[in-house]
Amino acid sequence: MQKHRRRVVGTALLVVALVALGLTASAQAKLVGNYTKFVQCPYSNPEVRKCLYSTTNSGEVVLGSKKVPIEKPVVLQGGTLKAVEGTAKFVAASNGITLSKAPQNVPGGILGIVPEASSPPLVKALIKFFLENSLTGVNSTLELAKPASEITINETSLVGEEGTALKLPVKVHLENPFLGKNCFVGSSTTPIIWNLTTGETNPPVPNKKITGKAGQLEFLEEGSIAEIKENVLVDNAWSAPTASGCGGILSFLVTPIINAQLGSTAAGHNTAVLNNTLFTASAAAVRENNELNP
Amino acid sequence: MRTKATAIGATLVALAVLCAMFATSASAAPAWKFEGKSLEGTEVVLGGAIESSMTIPGLTTKCEDFLYKLTVENASGTGKGSLTEMPLYNCTTNSKVCSVSTIGAEKLPWASKLTTVETIPYIIIEGVKVSIYYLGSKCVLDETLVTVTGSAGGSIDNTAETATFNASTLSASKTELKALSQKIEWNGLFPTEAFQWHREQALSVS
Repeated sequence: MQKHRRRVVGTALLVVALVALGLTASAQAKLVGNYTKFVQCPYSNPEVRKCLYSTTNSGEVVLGSKKVPIEKPVVLQGGTLKAVEGTAKFVAASNGITLSKAPQNVPGGILGIVPEASSPPLVKALIKFFLENSLTGVNSTLELAKPASEITINETSLVGEEGTALKLPVKVHLENPFLGKNCFVGSSTTPIIWNLTTGETNPPVPNKKITGKAGQLEFLEEGSIAEIKENVLVDNAWSAPTASGCGGILSFLVTPIINAQLGSTAAGHNTAVLNNTLFTASAAAVRENNELNP
Repeated sequence: MRTKATAIGATLVALAVLCAMFATSASAAPAWKFEGKSLEGTEVVLGGAIESSMTIPGLTTKCEDFLYKLTVENASGTGKGSLTEMPLYNCTTNSKVCSVSTIGAEKLPWASKLTTVETIPYIIIEGVKVSIYYLGSKCVLDETLVTVTGSAGGSIDNTAETATFNASTLSASKTELKALSQKIEWNGLFPTEAFQWHREQALSVS
């Protein structure tokens, strides 16, 4: 009798576990085809109108006298609310990783010695070996400085090559064993604000006007998804605060050195060029794709 | 002395050749003709597209009723015109999720002129501006205003009395239409028929 009861209880627990697993699975996204990249879009939020997935594959960020090429892809993902006068506010990605953290190598490392382009390959290799290793090398990681809701996107400007297409509040995390964990340029209180455009910039001197590009647009999934290839977003009119928190307890010594290395980061001395591939989708279409694929 | 004479002769020949070339290109500007005679004064060419579609890669928009009214005249022997009306009705897309809420020509009249591309007569429509407002909750262009701008060149078939606009004619006439910063494809076949003083007369361009 007791054996039978145990078996019944065991079976019931197994059923409960299976049901729980099933529920978990059904709560997870099962997007297919071109929709899979929107897995972290908060499309279950009925206020979300569109999903965005953008990969910055290359480009550069010039901060004062430091030029950091973008060599590792950076992903911006999430949703957007209904646009007001063309501009829509962003909604954070479901997994919280709205802007992926991709550490980019700072050429010249902590000493900032960069060989001239005409230098022999051996010289370049030696400088890279000694100055860009795990000890002397510096990584620069772009991070969001404000909540995702502070990001805005204007699709008309994005494809119209005029005005701010993407407003991105960011901070730059400089990482190296000597710099400690809190060496940043920009913060939540003093963020770097990028007003990125696919059109022409109007920077203060010494920077000169640069131009972005809307890119090649193609509609997928019968017009539910738009893919934009070869998109270039630029801004070279932004200013950045000085670095802070570098060097841990020796911050009072190290931070000024870092700031001296960066040089002036006032507006006119900085540039962001982001080469992207963007996907945007109707959130309703993403929702339907999820429901149709249990 | 003889060399100088030869040089002058050669220069004159070259000039004559150049003049002949310019004369050819000047005569290449075609005029509107009815029953083979050059149009004097103005005439109204009216019609509806036999077929027409506009494509941004992945999304094609078609209008069942694509009408136009073009006032034409010859100025200094060259045909020109003014597109004064272009009502568009019953427009749809090839997508199940995107519909056309409103569509309309803007900043009319649009100027037009006749030209010749490799012996074929062409009509060039300039200053094109068409606004399209798409709807559909599952359409990525939902509540988006798309504006088509640019100029379009179409070849004229005197026998069929039609004007054809497509990727080849736009390319040949060095014209382009853009929407969402993209070069778009426009295919259209339009009858060229007079509806005022030269009604039911054969219209040709040469």
